[in-house]
Amino acid sequence: MKVVSISNLLTNSLVFNRRRFSLGLLILILSQPLTAKDIYFTRSGTISFFSTAIIEDIEAYNKQVTCVLDKENGSVAFQVPILGFIFENALMQEHFNENYLESEKFPTAIFKGKINDWELIELSEKDQEVNLTGEMTIHGVTNEFSEKGFISIKNNKIDGTTQFKIIVADYGIEIPKIVRNNIAKIVDVNVKLSLKKK
Amino acid sequence: MKIFLLLFFCLIFSLFAQDDLLDLLDDESANTIPVSATFKATRIVNAQSIELARPKTLEFMIQHRFGSMGNGLYDLMGLDGAMIRFELKYGFNPKISLGAGRSSLNKTYDFFTKLKLSNQSNNFPLSTAVFAKAEIETLERQSEFSEKLENRLTYDSQFLIARKINSSISVQIMPTWIHHNWVRVQTNKQDLFSVGFGGRFKLTKRVSINMDTFFPLGERDENFKQSWGVGFDIETGGHVFQLMVTNVQGSYESAYIENATGTLDGMEIYLGFNITRVFRL
Repeated sequence: MKVVSISNLLTNSLVFNRRRFSLGLLILILSQPLTAKDIYFTRSGTISFFSTAIIEDIEAYNKQVTCVLDKENGSVAFQVPILGFIFENALMQEHFNENYLESEKFPTAIFKGKINDWELIELSEKDQEVNLTGEMTIHGVTNEFSEKGFISIKNNKIDGTTQFKIIVADYGIEIPKIVRNNIAKIVDVNVKLSLKKK
Repeated sequence: MKIFLLLFFCLIFSLFAQDDLLDLLDDESANTIPVSATFKATRIVNAQSIELARPKTLEFMIQHRFGSMGNGLYDLMGLDGAMIRFELKYGFNPKISLGAGRSSLNKTYDFFTKLKLSNQSNNFPLSTAVFAKAEIETLERQSEFSEKLENRLTYDSQFLIARKINSSISVQIMPTWIHHNWVRVQTNKQDLFSVGFGGRFKLTKRVSINMDTFFPLGERDENFKQSWGVGFDIETGGHVFQLMVTNVQGSYESAYIENATGTLDGMEIYLGFNITRVFRL
């Protein structure tokens, strides 16, 4: 009796283990596409913005842009830490974070989208015009986003640039009347990236 | 059955993960992000805040305290008589600022420095700074002895410890030592110690309510009153206005910490305001 029960126990545990093993294998296989992707990325892209209003021009740059490009399907994601924007004027920087972007509440701006007609694009050393579409989230507000950009490849590094305008009000950023002559309603944004293979 | 369930979840998970490209980069870049704007101005109400004049910036501050409200309408709640202090300070870098001021109370000139020791960040819980000031009272005096420069000097030293708890609440503790080189009455102490407490609560993005007070350590004479101030910070672009009610009329350290004169009983309190204007150099 004893022997039987032990052998039963053994086979039971074996079966259990095997099942577990096969499940593990399944998970591995399923998650395979994640690691096999042809990913290019950077953590030190540059984004800068410029706004010109009646009283003053406002300019800031940020060299901590994270960007990921999936070279297989052309999907792209950007992430910008708002606190990484550097202004020449420390007071402006403080107001930017405290009063306008509320960067403690909304620490990052994120773009998620893709490069249109990726299958038709052949990357070369020459700058090529592409169209980006997706969703942009700034200040906790998400908007549809569609803009032109340029992309090229050189020494296995993908370089990308884009320029676009952002309407401040679209992202729920209020400009009080009293500073309406200091702060523009539309801001010019410049992005420059150099992605390397992961 | 279980397998199918798991399969299903795996599928969903992999689909989801595929969507989120940014997740592919594990977040190894844990940068130090300093906390800024613990307070809007370099003063809480009367007390020094943890904030310095910003780098490469000249800050001009006017501190205006009207007379006592005790006389009521006779002098329009004290608006007829006022004490004023001008202050000019410069931020050399984020850690060092120097300045000078002149107060009409006892015709006092002062020279001061504020040095940042640490900045609160995601890796460090507190902002700390030291504040040191030398005051020179230039009011005419009777005796030749008391006219001497060394007998006109007072030194203020403070250690400022602050924490921005969240975007609207900040608190500060201020151990303080005030040294008078010379005291009028022999029973008065030359060295006075106290601990100050201050804080702010933001009502809107540009308006906050602030308060500060100093608790004496050791004995004081019977005329001593604990100083306090309650006020609003109102920010408008390049200016910060601070409107307040306080029981002290002087706005340099030895005046507002140790020489409070007013009490609430007889409405012996003072309306006042600080204005800060920032100039970029």
